[in-house]
Amino acid sequence: MELNPIIEVKDLHFSYKNHKVLSGINFELYRGEVVSLLGINGCGKSTLIKLILKLIHTDADIKIDAKELKSYSHKDLAHKIAYIPQYNNTPFNYQVLDMVLMARVTKLGFFAQPSKKDYEVAMAALEKIGMEHLKNRAFGQLSGGQKQMVLLARSIAQEVNTFIMDEPVAGLDYGNQIRLLELIDSLASEGYTFLKTTHYPDHALLMSSRVVVMHEGVIVADDAPDAVITKEMIEKIYDIKADIVTHGEHKRCLPIFEKSRQKDLHELTI
Amino acid sequence: MSHINDAKYLIIATIILILFSTLSLLWGQFDISISTFFDYLNHKLFSSPATQDFTLIESIILDIRLPRVLLAILIGAALATSGAVFQAMFVNPLVSPGILGVLAGASFGAACGMLISEHWFIVQILAFVFGFVAVGFAVFIGSMVTNSRSTVMLVLGGVISASLFTSLLSIIKYVADPYSTLPAIVYWLMGSLSMAELNETLLVAVPITLSILGMVFMSKYFDLMSLGDEEAKALGVNVKLIRIVAIILATLASSLSVVMAGIIGWVGLIIPHIIRMAVGPSHRLLIPLSAVVGAIFLLSADAISRLALSVEIPIGILTSLIGIPIFIIVLRNARAAWN
Repeated sequence: MELNPIIEVKDLHFSYKNHKVLSGINFELYRGEVVSLLGINGCGKSTLIKLILKLIHTDADIKIDAKELKSYSHKDLAHKIAYIPQYNNTPFNYQVLDMVLMARVTKLGFFAQPSKKDYEVAMAALEKIGMEHLKNRAFGQLSGGQKQMVLLARSIAQEVNTFIMDEPVAGLDYGNQIRLLELIDSLASEGYTFLKTTHYPDHALLMSSRVVVMHEGVIVADDAPDAVITKEMIEKIYDIKADIVTHGEHKRCLPIFEKSRQKDLHELTI
Repeated sequence: MSHINDAKYLIIATIILILFSTLSLLWGQFDISISTFFDYLNHKLFSSPATQDFTLIESIILDIRLPRVLLAILIGAALATSGAVFQAMFVNPLVSPGILGVLAGASFGAACGMLISEHWFIVQILAFVFGFVAVGFAVFIGSMVTNSRSTVMLVLGGVISASLFTSLLSIIKYVADPYSTLPAIVYWLMGSLSMAELNETLLVAVPITLSILGMVFMSKYFDLMSLGDEEAKALGVNVKLIRIVAIILATLASSLSVVMAGIIGWVGLIIPHIIRMAVGPSHRLLIPLSAVVGAIFLLSADAISRLALSVEIPIGILTSLIGIPIFIIVLRNARAAWN
């Protein structure tokens, strides 16, 4: 692990108009880490990610690779960090290979077109995640899981080591969720750094080196997964009961139905 | 590798364009045979002895047909390329210079120019300025109702913008001299290449060609832009700069087409769709291929307008008549991909 964090956020405050979204955020991401960002909808985790990626303007003290975020152009930032958004469809249904090739475009000069080398890098990225057989397929016709994999391949073709993912498993079926997590895990073991938001404490336990919990715009916990994800934390953040059990080498988080609450609901409907 | 395929499509299209241009130079009310044409070329280029008196042939080719062929190529390329660029910039496959109101705005600007000034340059500038105002107005209306990227709202905004400038144009027509300016404006608006003159064509060829080349060079960014602003930024694109430059270039090219030949609709809408259906949506190929295929399309439409009947059909009417059925087919096929 290097001394300088790849991302360093110091005392960040942020508001949309008069609505306070983030207050006093201090956060670092070091090379080689897999950090899961947990929290309910509206807790500010997406905003934090967008601020780091310069998708929202800020004058706050954020450093990327020990340099002020303000001094980065989008192009420079794309040479440090890759962003994997939740997939959405464009009306133009690009081929998978073209989709991956998009990572190469801002590495080219203004008059240059993608070269043979760029195609090779894109193909190598597809091969790395085992999607090369889909290279001529239309992106829009892929399953949700395949789309996320292609976007991962695009980030690999961007030739950076740090990936930021926004709820990578959202909308995927059960099998694809697990397969995508496995892929992220194996990329992490190759030395890629991940910062990902997630709605699943269980996924955070399975495959994080560190878990950050956000609640109402504040970071309420930032530590090893086992230390952060506890019964008390789950109850506080999500207002549900859960058991943390040990299964094999991992702790797992199992939610528990509350009979009393079901009764309440039942009474409510009557 | 697909960049070799890209080149292949472009080369084939360019060969077809050269072939069609040559035929357009030869065919007309006075047909010139291919052997005469080659004799003439030999005579001009390699100073071989003249096989006959070429005065008439030279005047038909150089004075009448060449400006027209050049203008058809320029305008077809300008409209189709601008259409593809507008569709990419607004991430909206339903827009075109016509639908966004650019053509109506430019025609209002050009008519104003004709009314107030003899200067060709003023007419061009006003056409561009009002073309740009029209697309700005369409975007403003489109974003007024919803903040989100709405395909339909932008089209509606364009419809409103186009009707506004069409009405303003009617005012110009109303005050224009009914014996001289009015017929000129009306005939010019119907869309015609028949008034092409070599000097004027060459003058407008420079800015049109430069804008098309600019759009071709920027084409590799358009794929990224069409993913939405956030994703494009995260991939390293200077979204604001690319968008404003691309919209200015597309507006300039399509406004100048209006100055030269009036409103020629549908080319900017259908050509990009046809190409997407044939070779896919990647803009690295779509933009240059739109330029070449747009030129082929308008050249063919112009040939039909000259040759089909004994009187010439205004080309704007013809492109609508050809464009509408093609667009209906495109809509049917593309419906699934847009949802």
